[in-house]
Amino acid sequence: MTTLRPFTCDDMFKFNNVNLDPLTETYGLAFYMQYLAHWPEYFQVAESPSGEIMGYIMGKAEGQRENWHGHVTALTVSPDYRRLGLAGLLMNFLEDVSEDKKAYFVDLFVRVSNKVAINMYTNLGYIVYRTVLEYYSGDPDEDAYDMRKALSRDVDKKSMIPLLHPARPEDVD
Amino acid sequence: MAQHVHDSLIYDRRLRPIYELLELGNNKKALQEAEKLLKKMPVLPCGRALKALALLRLGREEESNTLLKALAEEKPSDEATLQVLSFCYKETEQLEKICELYKEALKKSPGNDELLAHLFMSYVRLDDFKSQQTVALQLYRQVRGNPYYFWAVNSVVLQGLRGPESSVPAKRSLFLALAQRMVEEFISQEKIKDEQEVQLYLSILMEQGKFKEALDFLGGTLCQKVYPGAHKSLKIDLFKKLNMWNELNSYLKMNLRSERDRWDYYKDYLTSCFELAKLNDTTEENENNILDNCHEFLCQLIEGGKRVRGPYLARLELHKRMRENNMNAKELLGDFADLIIEYFRFFGDKQCCTNDIALFLESISRDERITVASKLVRDSGISSTTLPQNKEQMQKHICSLQLSRMCGSNIGLSQEHLLALYTALRLHYEHGLSAFGQNLLSTDMGPSDPYSLLATHIMYDVAAEEGKSYHLIEAICLLYYVLQNSPSNFHAKLLLLKIYHFLGCGVGAHQIYESLDIKHIQLESMGYLHCALLPATGLVSVAKSVYDVTLSFFTTSYKERLEYIAMAYKYGSFSKIEEFMDFRDRLSNSLHYASTSAEQLLLELVCLSGALWQNLNTYKMMSIHPAEDRIKWNELADNRDLSVVVRWDPIDLIDHNEKQNSFDQDIECLQIRSHLLRLVASFIDALNSHDKIQAENSNEGNRNTEVLESLKTSWNEIFKRIRSKNFTKSSNKFLVNLLPSRLHAMLDMPYETFFSDVAEFLIDLSINFQLTDDRVAQLNGNVSKVQTILCDSVRENNDQEDNIWNRREIQQRIVSAVEILSLYAFVLSVCHQKYATTPVQAKKSKKKEGVQKTASENLSQRIIGLMRHLKQELQICDNELVLWKQPKFHTSLAECMSGMSLNPQVESSVTTKVSDIFKENHLQTIKDLRNIIKDKIRMVNK
Repeated sequence: MTTLRPFTCDDMFKFNNVNLDPLTETYGLAFYMQYLAHWPEYFQVAESPSGEIMGYIMGKAEGQRENWHGHVTALTVSPDYRRLGLAGLLMNFLEDVSEDKKAYFVDLFVRVSNKVAINMYTNLGYIVYRTVLEYYSGDPDEDAYDMRKALSRDVDKKSMIPLLHPARPEDVD
Repeated sequence: MAQHVHDSLIYDRRLRPIYELLELGNNKKALQEAEKLLKKMPVLPCGRALKALALLRLGREEESNTLLKALAEEKPSDEATLQVLSFCYKETEQLEKICELYKEALKKSPGNDELLAHLFMSYVRLDDFKSQQTVALQLYRQVRGNPYYFWAVNSVVLQGLRGPESSVPAKRSLFLALAQRMVEEFISQEKIKDEQEVQLYLSILMEQGKFKEALDFLGGTLCQKVYPGAHKSLKIDLFKKLNMWNELNSYLKMNLRSERDRWDYYKDYLTSCFELAKLNDTTEENENNILDNCHEFLCQLIEGGKRVRGPYLARLELHKRMRENNMNAKELLGDFADLIIEYFRFFGDKQCCTNDIALFLESISRDERITVASKLVRDSGISSTTLPQNKEQMQKHICSLQLSRMCGSNIGLSQEHLLALYTALRLHYEHGLSAFGQNLLSTDMGPSDPYSLLATHIMYDVAAEEGKSYHLIEAICLLYYVLQNSPSNFHAKLLLLKIYHFLGCGVGAHQIYESLDIKHIQLESMGYLHCALLPATGLVSVAKSVYDVTLSFFTTSYKERLEYIAMAYKYGSFSKIEEFMDFRDRLSNSLHYASTSAEQLLLELVCLSGALWQNLNTYKMMSIHPAEDRIKWNELADNRDLSVVVRWDPIDLIDHNEKQNSFDQDIECLQIRSHLLRLVASFIDALNSHDKIQAENSNEGNRNTEVLESLKTSWNEIFKRIRSKNFTKSSNKFLVNLLPSRLHAMLDMPYETFFSDVAEFLIDLSINFQLTDDRVAQLNGNVSKVQTILCDSVRENNDQEDNIWNRREIQQRIVSAVEILSLYAFVLSVCHQKYATTPVQAKKSKKKEGVQKTASENLSQRIIGLMRHLKQELQICDNELVLWKQPKFHTSLAECMSGMSLNPQVESSVTTKVSDIFKENHLQTIKDLRNIIKDKIRMVNK
């Protein structure tokens, strides 16, 4: 049971219940502000009937010509509101925005160890396009999957033909 | 061309390294490199600008200013120099100078679009909307790009909404009408390209109340083409504004059929139904008809596919609203309790069910709530003799227990009953852990963790009722045990943080705080949980480090605040500009920011040690400026996230004014704290300028004494005003309640008289050069009084059978006593330097020299006397602190854990850990306080 609305600056004062989760990163203020300033339509929040933040998605549109695509920068749902299909709802929203912008596909990065998330994205129609080596820094560094889903403009789903060779982080934008 | 190549060579070879050093924060090296470069090319403007920036960042403001002034007078026009100068002006908050800079540069190359864009942004930083408009239009004429035109449109809008004339309704409408015409001109020329431009137009219409026009435009071809993703919420909003209830009703029905889980849609859909019922006819029949249809529709949605919460919750909402409107909800929808039970049966296995049902609890009476609660517990199928058979059943049980606490079922139970409940919850936790909580990832929350969280709240209730710490310590152990099993359960950590601070255990609190990894904006929204409580703990090193991190977030954000709005213009995100402005103000005027800044400075003064000249240097670096009050008292913002700590307290006992009350009291506390800081600074400034009175009879000395006098007056006034308000301490009825504001400690401790008397002493000294016997007795009496408070507090705590429960308050008194005496010690040490080491030289009359000399010797002796008295009393304090007894743990603490786990190692490790933390806290607090005292003893050792 959800209210979907654009994320506003003030939401940063109350997204703690979502961000204290260990898998959700709290970025510097400038990072959120940049997304809000540049791609406000891509930053949405799901609110519970009692006004709590249940989750949010932030993304952007980038790339040239056939690489023009929507990108999911962060997607997170509070532990209290999991298994309600919220992530799917937010992803749909981002895909719709990308459709409106006539993007060819949507992509995202996910830790190869994050089975739950990979599974969810697969169910939403995403495929592993390629592996990006040591994308996440840490001890040890971790690889990422670059996952993709074609949008209607990519009629032949060319964006979804997987690459066989892994990429280095510096080779992906 | 040749010149160009030359320039870029200089840049690459010479300037870039300096930029890089500055970027890295290596300002000293940057300055050296800049000076090296300037030896070869002494006039190079960019080189000098970089030198100015390096000097500025090294704190050498005067030199930097001289350089800046000279550069500005030369009216530089190259991009690089202008950029660096802008940096300097931004860092010194001289924003209007950036405008001047670019205006001058534009005179040299009129119409240069890059310079114009910079000039525009420099006005954005100043909120100078009118100048923004002028420059944006110049830019548009120059470049003919849509963005610049809309910069101008938006600047016009802002003049209407926030400009100096925005409060005049006629002017407001004029600006908005102008903005509308500007966009319409573009529409008629078919020049609109971007969705943000369309959004801006819509918002201009909405601001003028032209909802019909907005709705028509929204449905028009242009909007469809440019802004296909136009928010449905906008359309819904417009229907509501225009009272188009029929249209709203069918629009939402259409949308709800495809999105059955949208709470925002349901709420408005129900509103439309009630409005239609009111509107259509006054006959009851019609009214019922519409609500019948509404119910019918909700039932269709319930039956129309996979089971989702939406339509069920909507039905509860319908019931609630009908009752609010005195309609017969029961007849149409049945019994409310039954509907809730039905909801619980379907969705009780989801964690959010508690919050869902909680939404409706307030709409029924307390008795009804109690009935609902017991029905829910019964319906979960778990009794005192049964255990959950699966995860779902366990979640239902948890949900029913949480709701039943919210309904008030825990209230009025006997201590034995509550303890039995606690034991049951603890056992359920254990059972859930072993049955359903195995093989979890370290990032998961344990499915049975909520039992323990609830148990913690109950243990607080028991402890609060008894006024004893024992059961609360037991809860700490339980929470640690939970964290061993699910190390990332932040709810458990936050509860621990609350308990530790409640018991005055800063060391424990800080360990937990660190494990929460709180950063960036969270330092603001959650700072109240730790940072703001540190002043009362006496843990100096912990406080210093947390203040530093917190303030570095605030100062960075304060600097960056200037760029966000500029960024929104750059990307043409007009819908965000006002929001960014409000956010900027909310963050810049944060109460937490202002308080932490004051606390950091006070702590630094309290901790001064070593040679006087060093201390005076440190003091000077703090640049306190007592004459100016930098806090915008009427704009202070409360950005605390109080909902982050999980609670299920009885809804009828929750104090909804808690946040506001604590905010009001904390502002008053800051009044006192920031005033204390300024008052002490005025003491130092007045003492420091006494020299000059003789030397040049300057006005500065007089002015400093005037500042001191006026601060002394307002100091007393503030106390009088605050005392007359009779603020009440917050109750701490529940664990989640905020601790009482520190304001009360400020009022209870003798801050007012102590510093008021010191002020009088210094005024007297500076005007009459005298220190009377009465004054000496008064000052010494004050010091002794503070000493007595400290010693009595230690003894009081030592005598208590349970020396943990009241520790926070006692500790706070002790810390305040140390603070008062330390600030006084610093003031006396400065005083001593001025009056006791170099006798006052009276030039006026040689005849009186002898008399003067005796007078000054006399004065000197008296000041030394004050210091000796302070030293003695500090010594007594120090001795007493040594006698402060360790926290005593109940002997059965280990036993309490024995029921908790089958593994004896776990029990003993947890209990040892907890008692060690309390001990460490005790020792650390004493160590930090004694260090301060010893430094002060040395400071006044004469």
